[in-house]
Amino acid sequence: MGGLSASLLIGVQALEANQGALNATSNNIANANTPGYTREVPQFTEATVSDVNGEVLGGGVELTGLQSVRDELLNMQIDQQTSAQSSVDTQSTSLQQAQTYFTTTGGDIASALSSFSSSLAELSANSSSTAEQQTVVSSGQDLAEAFNTAANGLTTVQSAADTQVTQTVAQINTLTAQIASLNGQLWQLQASGQDGGTVEDQRDQDVQQLSQLTGISITQSNTGETITTANGSPLVMGSQSFSLQTATGSNGTQQVIDSSGNNITSSIQGGQLGGAIEIRDQTIPSYLSQLNTLASQFSTAFNAAQAQGYTSSGAQGGNFFTVTSAANAASTISVSNSAQVAVSSDGSSGSNGNVANLSATLTNKLPSGQTAADAYASLVYQVGNDTSTASSNSTAIGDNLLSLTNQQSAISGVNIDEETTNLIKYQTAYEAAARIVSTVQALGTVTLDMGSTQSY
Amino acid sequence: MNSTGVQDRNGKLVEYLELLRSLAQELERSMQAISQNSLSPLEDSVANQQVLATRLHELANDLSEPVEDRSVASSGGGDEGLMREIHGASKTLQALNQRYAALLKLSSHSVGLMVSLFSSFRGQIQEGTGPRLEHQTWSCQV
Repeated sequence: MGGLSASLLIGVQALEANQGALNATSNNIANANTPGYTREVPQFTEATVSDVNGEVLGGGVELTGLQSVRDELLNMQIDQQTSAQSSVDTQSTSLQQAQTYFTTTGGDIASALSSFSSSLAELSANSSSTAEQQTVVSSGQDLAEAFNTAANGLTTVQSAADTQVTQTVAQINTLTAQIASLNGQLWQLQASGQDGGTVEDQRDQDVQQLSQLTGISITQSNTGETITTANGSPLVMGSQSFSLQTATGSNGTQQVIDSSGNNITSSIQGGQLGGAIEIRDQTIPSYLSQLNTLASQFSTAFNAAQAQGYTSSGAQGGNFFTVTSAANAASTISVSNSAQVAVSSDGSSGSNGNVANLSATLTNKLPSGQTAADAYASLVYQVGNDTSTASSNSTAIGDNLLSLTNQQSAISGVNIDEETTNLIKYQTAYEAAARIVSTVQALGTVTLDMGSTQSY
Repeated sequence: MNSTGVQDRNGKLVEYLELLRSLAQELERSMQAISQNSLSPLEDSVANQQVLATRLHELANDLSEPVEDRSVASSGGGDEGLMREIHGASKTLQALNQRYAALLKLSSHSVGLMVSLFSSFRGQIQEGTGPRLEHQTWSCQV
């Protein structure tokens, strides 16, 4: 019976271990539907083996702590995919807004070009008609306004992206401060041997939110996570956070400045911030550039054709379109005041020889190598294609993210059926054992009685 | 009771003593199984305990019958030594049994709570899938 004291000790330890396991499991189940919760697993180790009078005794079991079930690599992949999806979602939203200015519902540039061409054709048939000449002027104004509307619309989308840069930087600073604070708490908990699972969960959620805002790189160290931007600018180092700032750049847009004063705008990738910067600094400027080129080249070509002819009053044709800024041709193009169509090729009354030259500006290739209608169609295609690509990218990344999240759920998941089956088996075994306990207790009395019967 | 009767009684007392010791060992084995999360050894041990307890109960009833033959009392030296061993083993078994009862009581309570918890959350938890599900959370710890 050398195992009696050992058994008692083992029993007590088992009771304590059970209580710890119970607490951990209660917490797991209570948080089963809590977003970002990571289940905790009790960590058991065999207690120290003792040697009593040469007899080696097992030490039972000890609860050494709780461990959150985390897959850091998986978390990192989720953060990366979250960042990528957030970026394409931001771009997709902006592109959908931009796309509304390139519809074919009547007020767009393609329709205006078509109407302008029709009005010139009608003028050719009736060149002396003042009404037809006025129709050409009116159609020209519609065309100029269509350019203005598209350009201003794109500028509005660009401005919205610029505002989003400022707002997102503020959100990033709030989150990095929270993460740094949680890093400090976690470090203190771990240093004192306490479970930091809850704090770690909160930090992981904050980091995931941060990855929605911008692409980040994470490294682990003794003092907690170090988080940097893609170009290595620090955001969080242990319990210290480093704020980003915004400043108005030379082009009037908000630039992102890191804690060392470096302008890191062009190196920011991913997240809402990366998406907004890409839309603001690359995508929209590309569309505007093509639109400005089209407006500039078309107005130049038309004005050149005007110069070849004469108005009905015999004056040499003047500029029909006015562009106040070549760099912003689309937004500044307008029909010149008192513009008159240079119908005649020789200044004689009834001549319509120059109308053909004017019409040719719509059918001939511009310096860009395309006709005005084709150049615009290319731009429409590009906007549509970019919007569609962003949308499909978002779907693809979303699927990937869902798969990763499912994997994470599998790691953190609670297998209810399996756990319940084991529990019921234990219940059955304990009930049977409890009956034996009662029997043994009764046997003690009987044994004492046996002793008394011997003493007569 | 004649000499055959005395030998028979002593034989039963020896068997009773051995059974007490065996049962004590089984209780230890059960507690070890609980502490090590080993369900199968626990179930095996409980089954053995049932057999031992049944036999002990039969023997205890048998041995509790009044002894009318005075020769047994006069030759009771050997029985008295045996009885002391039996009383010692019985006390040890009772002490062990108390600890075992306490362990079972709390563990049963824990298991009961866990069953309630799982039952109450059943159907609301999105269970994970995939290869990592081999991770068990806790049940075998209780």
